[in-house]
Amino acid sequence: MNLNLVVDKTHRFDAIVVGSGMTGGMAAKELTEKGLNVLMIERGREVKHIEDYDTALKAPWEFAHRGKVPVHSAEELWANNRFGTLANEETGPFFTNDKQNPYIEKRPFDWIRAYHTGGKSMHWGRQSYRWNRQDFEANAKEGLGVDWPIRYEDLAPWYTHAEKFVGINGHKDNLEVLPDGFFLPAMPMYSPERHFTEMMKKKLNRPIIIGRTANLTKPQPWHTALGRATCQYRNKCARGCPYGAVYSSLSGAIPAATKTKRLSMLHDTIVTEVLVDEKSQKAKGVRVINQNTMEVSEYFASILFLNAGSMNTAALLLNSKSSRFQNGLGNDSDQVGRNIMDHHLGVGANATVEGFEDDIVFGQRPNALYIPRFRNWGADKQPNYLRGFGYQGGASRSDWKRGAGMDGFGANFKKEMTQPGTWNIGFGGFGEVLPNPNNRMYLDPEKKDKWGIPMIVFDAAFGENEIAMRKDIASSAAEMLEAAGFKNITTYNRPEVHLGLGIHEMGTARMGKDPKTSVLNKHNQLHACKNVFVTDGAAMASSSCVNPSLTYMALTARAADFAVTELKKKNL
Amino acid sequence: MNRREAISHVAILMGGAFSAPTLLAMEHRDNTAFTKSGSVSFQLNDTQRQIVAEVAEMIIPKTDTAGAKEADVPAFIELMLKDCYRQPEQLSFLEGVQQLQTAGFLTENEARRSEILHKIENETKELMKAYNVQQSKMGDNEDRELMKTQVKGLPFWRLMKELTLLGYFTSEVGIKGSFEYVPIPGKLEEVKLKPNQKIYAY
Repeated sequence: MNLNLVVDKTHRFDAIVVGSGMTGGMAAKELTEKGLNVLMIERGREVKHIEDYDTALKAPWEFAHRGKVPVHSAEELWANNRFGTLANEETGPFFTNDKQNPYIEKRPFDWIRAYHTGGKSMHWGRQSYRWNRQDFEANAKEGLGVDWPIRYEDLAPWYTHAEKFVGINGHKDNLEVLPDGFFLPAMPMYSPERHFTEMMKKKLNRPIIIGRTANLTKPQPWHTALGRATCQYRNKCARGCPYGAVYSSLSGAIPAATKTKRLSMLHDTIVTEVLVDEKSQKAKGVRVINQNTMEVSEYFASILFLNAGSMNTAALLLNSKSSRFQNGLGNDSDQVGRNIMDHHLGVGANATVEGFEDDIVFGQRPNALYIPRFRNWGADKQPNYLRGFGYQGGASRSDWKRGAGMDGFGANFKKEMTQPGTWNIGFGGFGEVLPNPNNRMYLDPEKKDKWGIPMIVFDAAFGENEIAMRKDIASSAAEMLEAAGFKNITTYNRPEVHLGLGIHEMGTARMGKDPKTSVLNKHNQLHACKNVFVTDGAAMASSSCVNPSLTYMALTARAADFAVTELKKKNL
Repeated sequence: MNRREAISHVAILMGGAFSAPTLLAMEHRDNTAFTKSGSVSFQLNDTQRQIVAEVAEMIIPKTDTAGAKEADVPAFIELMLKDCYRQPEQLSFLEGVQQLQTAGFLTENEARRSEILHKIENETKELMKAYNVQQSKMGDNEDRELMKTQVKGLPFWRLMKELTLLGYFTSEVGIKGSFEYVPIPGKLEEVKLKPNQKIYAY
């Protein structure tokens, strides 16, 4: 390829943030608010908050296929489509065309991508939980992977910092397994769910809580100052929230960073390489290619934050080779790209609930119940697997969709379909995945994408621990539904689920104490190149079983604080 | 636990009992089973269209609220089969329409039409059993490549029911006539269902 290399020495900033998603947004916000001039580089198209949420306010009948997935779309978004609904008309335009952005599967990997402003923060499940103390200590206790270089106490104030800014609703439940934080008012449980909660307390002594989500139930002044408003209970969050009630980079971090007037943004710009200064062995900037014009340029900064998403961040490190870093930037340990973790998805149980016929709900709750981890916790010891899982789910009344499997047609059938059906209840597990160096991604030595960037190869799968845990996730869910007295209990364990489908991919540039076995230190700095910070999911040394975004954001804010302090001391 | 069961359990969670291909069309949870079969250009002729319209209207007839025809369900069904389904479903659908045509459905009176549909509904129960066995084999069998080439589509009646319900209850007249349409609830609260109260749709 004949690339038009433009080197413009004026492309200079205090900091460059690669990626505009969950952690890139937070990095840009923190760094600009602390006085730095920041360039944020997004590889995908620009999506403007609210005005570009094309489908947000559409009625069901305004979708030609009523929001379902056309075959053509399923083929274009072949990887995204493995999740289920992502290739439909409601959200498809906000997910990456996999045909045009292919990757290689040595072993199957479900890679869900959203290349546009805000990345997957526009679509996330919004469930937000702190890690507990044991989550940070388990690797060391069990001799698995590497020990985290930080503990809960190191992150606790930054959890609070992130929770306040983001706006998380929830109860203070006083559980060691799920530490409390700064919460906006919790959303309600429904009557069958309260019944379930009581039964679980009585029969199994297990706490069930209402989920904690990043939807504003009661906006605080710092939320409204950014134009964010109260949740309208439409539960159409993934289309983009026109009220800004859902936290995303688009609704929160980017507006906050923009307010400082110190944020510059580039779109359609793929960072291909981190540039290293041969003398100082520090990073000096990045080389980029415009995804549309193919124009190549370089941008320079004192510090870099890599927040491209775990897999792309690792790919960027691997593709940044220099005389000092022949194996990829910061990859002296050969751990970059390894230890891919995710969370289990697609395994759980459902049942029907008798009674509560007079109870219906006005509004749609963008939230679920949460069943905190109870396995390998306290007195519980599982013989077949380490770590644990939590469940998300809840109760809802069946609607007209039940009619497809019923006999009958005609006027009475039609009338029946307008009435609510029985209450159903179900829970799906999110299970912890262990770090394993053989679960990895790497760059293909020959194949390149249309921008001349080496293609990513995935070679990872669930191991024995994960498979054993999945079985217990299904049977334990059934056991709980049975203990609650529910009927028609069925379990499921989707066989076609691969690593990645939980969309919690992490671990490809793990933190650790020892540069020989880890990529990042306790401040999320590359051990071997201190002015490069990685604060997305790549940094994780273990996966816990709770949704990770809040932890990523807390790590990002903490690292940004450290980076600015060090920069001011001229240590970077 | 096989794939078919897994999917049907997802259906329960969704509050209904949509069959696998509709779920696949709706969500494509596992498109690998059908990719080899490919999609054919799907179109109905005038007679076939008329049959589909009459059957849809019998499933959801005009009462004090609009029927399937008024909600443009027949055109929706054709569009969905063309765009969101693959060859096995397209063929089984055409087969079902053809059977109705052969039975002289359009020339029969209301009572006789109803009899025909009840008969098809009963026959479909057996077809669904066979279909589910096939699906479970596809879920469990190592030899899925072979199964793909032999896959039999979801039966006509099931497709008709599902698509009529989907088309009608997501149409403007269907939603607004059947439910209290609340696009922006603005709050979340439990309420007690009153006699003859319309339930909410969003």
